[in-house]
Amino acid sequence: MGDVKIGLEVHAELDTETKLFCPCHTHGSDAPNTLTCPICLGMPGSKPVLNKKVVEYALRLCLATECKIAPEIIFSRKTYFYPDMSKNYQITQYEIPIGSEGVIKLENKDVKLKRIHIEEDPAALTHPSGMQTSTYVLVDYNRSGRPLLEIVTEPVLESPEEARDFMKKLITILNYLDIFDQNECIIKADANISIKEKKFTRVEIKNITGFKEIERALKYEIERQKKEKVIQETRAWDSDNGVTHSLRAKESEDDYGYILDSDLVPIEISQDYIKKIKAELPELAHEKIQRYTENLKIDPMDAQVISSDYQLAKMFEKVSENVSPILAARWVRRELSRVLNYAKKTLEEVKITDKEMSDLLMLLEQGKITQQTAQRIIEKLVEKQFDVNNYVKENNLMIVSNAKELEDICRKILKQNEKIVNDYKSGNEKAFMALVGQVMRETKGKGNPKIINDALKKLI
Amino acid sequence: MSSKDVLKECKNINKEYNYFNTIASDAKEGSGKLKSYYISVKDCICVKDMETTSGSEILKGYKPIFNATIIDKIIKEGGSIIGKTTQDEFGFGSFNVNTKNIPKNPFDKTRTCGGSSGGAAGITQKASFKHIAIAESTGGSIACPASFCGIIGFTPTYGLVSRYGLLDYANSLDKIGIMAKNINDIELMFNIIKGHDKKDSTSLNLELNKDTKIKKIGVIKETLNVDPEIKDLILSKLDNYELVSLPSVEKYSLATYYILAMAEASTNLAKYCGMRYGMHEELKGNFNEYFSKVRSNFFGKEAKRRIILGTFTRMAGYRNAYYLKAAKVRTLIINEYKKAFKKYDLLVSPTMPIIAPKFSEIDKLTPLENYMMDIMTVGPNLAGLPHISLNVGFKDKMPVGIMFIADHLNDNKLIEVGKKWEM
Amino acid sequence: MKIDKELIKRVANNARLNLTDKEIEEFIPQFKDILNVFSKISEVNTDNVKVSIHPIEIKNSMREDIPEKCITQEDALKNTKHKKDGYFKGPAAI
Repeated sequence: MGDVKIGLEVHAELDTETKLFCPCHTHGSDAPNTLTCPICLGMPGSKPVLNKKVVEYALRLCLATECKIAPEIIFSRKTYFYPDMSKNYQITQYEIPIGSEGVIKLENKDVKLKRIHIEEDPAALTHPSGMQTSTYVLVDYNRSGRPLLEIVTEPVLESPEEARDFMKKLITILNYLDIFDQNECIIKADANISIKEKKFTRVEIKNITGFKEIERALKYEIERQKKEKVIQETRAWDSDNGVTHSLRAKESEDDYGYILDSDLVPIEISQDYIKKIKAELPELAHEKIQRYTENLKIDPMDAQVISSDYQLAKMFEKVSENVSPILAARWVRRELSRVLNYAKKTLEEVKITDKEMSDLLMLLEQGKITQQTAQRIIEKLVEKQFDVNNYVKENNLMIVSNAKELEDICRKILKQNEKIVNDYKSGNEKAFMALVGQVMRETKGKGNPKIINDALKKLI
Repeated sequence: MSSKDVLKECKNINKEYNYFNTIASDAKEGSGKLKSYYISVKDCICVKDMETTSGSEILKGYKPIFNATIIDKIIKEGGSIIGKTTQDEFGFGSFNVNTKNIPKNPFDKTRTCGGSSGGAAGITQKASFKHIAIAESTGGSIACPASFCGIIGFTPTYGLVSRYGLLDYANSLDKIGIMAKNINDIELMFNIIKGHDKKDSTSLNLELNKDTKIKKIGVIKETLNVDPEIKDLILSKLDNYELVSLPSVEKYSLATYYILAMAEASTNLAKYCGMRYGMHEELKGNFNEYFSKVRSNFFGKEAKRRIILGTFTRMAGYRNAYYLKAAKVRTLIINEYKKAFKKYDLLVSPTMPIIAPKFSEIDKLTPLENYMMDIMTVGPNLAGLPHISLNVGFKDKMPVGIMFIADHLNDNKLIEVGKKWEM
Repeated sequence: MKIDKELIKRVANNARLNLTDKEIEEFIPQFKDILNVFSKISEVNTDNVKVSIHPIEIKNSMREDIPEKCITQEDALKNTKHKKDGYFKGPAAI
């Protein structure tokens, strides 16, 4: 290790109702330029007003990552010209970020964060005939002014896999804190990467969307750097073709000429305010692990796995309200994951909700269906959604627990299998299992094993 | 006088004096405190569907889709908006010559009205109808033309009047203010347009000092180094005063003001690039080429000068010595004023060091000499202090202005001075 | 610090302004004079002096996360000729 150095600059859109500096809806219309106003269009004379919720959400992340929090925040103007800019300056935090010196803990590593700060999103650009050949761009300002958190790591990541794990963990935390909606909000990263072989000459790769792409882009770039000459430059990640290519070298580095934005005013972040937000923080992963193992008494490994995935954790908690947490944990962690892996799908992609899981596990816990039946049902649920109780009824999958009925069957089997009975009586334990097996077959697998066992023992 | 006649008079005056960039096609009368008042608006303030250019070619044809907050307030009180007055491009100037439509002094057409609110001052002097002008000051753009045109120019404490809808020159320096022929009209309009606006983050939510007692007046010593006639006019009008020295203001306010104003302006003007509004070109070439083309074709020379200087003062390597340093010196200058206000209720100086110069004289001035004309007004503007220019007499048949400055939120003291003033 | 053609060109470029050689020649002495006056502030002792963001202290202006009506697409596009199918048209981005 130590041959690769990676630093990430992640931009995560926050899940607020309105934009950062204007009261436009952040979502709700796909038609271009229908979620705009003079402010996010940068019309002359318009002025920004800060969205309180953004500060609160930023503080949640700062607290969750143990950042030092600035006692007073201000905003700056970063001036540069691009067709997606509404004012040709971006309002961001340059001098004093809201959070600094935080950490995100991976399984095997603590990733130090340099800073977390608030800034606004530019508009969305489309190139009608591809980036290289379009003679004009189309601009949609619906996105302009949406609130972003920028999270910058120290260059301490050492592999594309680690970068991917970091992104995954960050997304989990953002989900946990309820400040990010995976379905609506975008998360992008710029990566700085350098390798020892090329004297750690740093290359910046811009605009990588999502954690799967991070791994792809960085894997490609490391290989490219090994093979080609490496100069300090900025490259773009081309997801379709799986390559990075050089952004046209600029004649001179644009100087952003930062000044304070005096359309905005300093915001005090008092200790009381921080305390209030801390108290309202949703439970974090490590807190869940503690609660799962100490209060709910589930296996620590199960706790770890479940809490690391926001959706799994939500499912587990709901299901544990209806069945024993230990059962819920085992099934959520192992059985559910097993079938998802086999079908190569994620939990978000299948329509298994906590209702289906709860129904299924309640039947299992109450001894109404067998383990095998349950496993078969969950396999089917991956394919399509259905009501578990109805399915069990319609397909007659309920365990037969009628003692008399089972006793009769046992008697019948014993009569039919005198030889096996004698085998058992002379000490062959396996013979007993064969008898149980026969009874089960007779009941088409729906016999209550315990009752069968007891009945056979009694009758023999 | 009917509104039709008012607009006719405006058109006639305009033919001779160039005070308006736009004259309204009609001026409906409303009801409220401003009923029967006709209001002109400096061209940097948004009036919905009325061309708003801020004196610049780059915004030719631009019609905002919203009103500035103060315009809504004025309309609500029944004020009739008669048009947009000419100004130096984006406020860049003290003589209103940095624009296509150059207004002429109402007393002498060969002379300037002052700037940047030249048109506003001109029409205030010339109008025969009931008129109040809405103007704007960044470094003295209300006081200067008021002084040159012989009318009252009032600039309130920074933050008292909403800037929402004001095309920015410099965000920490811009203030909307009022020009009129009599102080009661100023007071009337002030009470209507001031007040907290949640759409402007820098809008103050503070009470004005109700105390209007003026016990002690301090004349700023360093400002008396002017033409002796002007000096005499100023001092002869004051019953009772002491001399007070403000050395930091004298030595550093000009540099501090211009560094901050230009730095902010250079970012405010970045948005003018031929996208979404304003003058365009054909979409050819890449974005840098396109933006540069539009901006170079349609910004005037002074605008280019200030954009370049402003960009320079905030560039890496220069930012500490210029932009950040000036922001700190500003604090010291404000402190110097605050110290003086512990002793004095009002500070006084001539509004301008000269009478309105001729256009031919202005042509000979270097840019720096232009900037130095603001020597009296930049101080209070930099410190966000309320100030008022009143006519104190004439020199060579041209009006001379006296400027009273009060501490933050003591605007009422200035209204009080205006009321007691006799000319 | 040298005020010369190179510096002015570099700054003008940053600000997306094309200057003719004549304009640059004109600006050089003007800028020298102006920057001379600007540099005066270097003599002021500003140790431990805070930056003034505004001339009067204003803090904590924020708003609630409550949406208001957006403007129509038509109004957004009203002031430009460069538009297509509801989008703004802009210059090529490479």
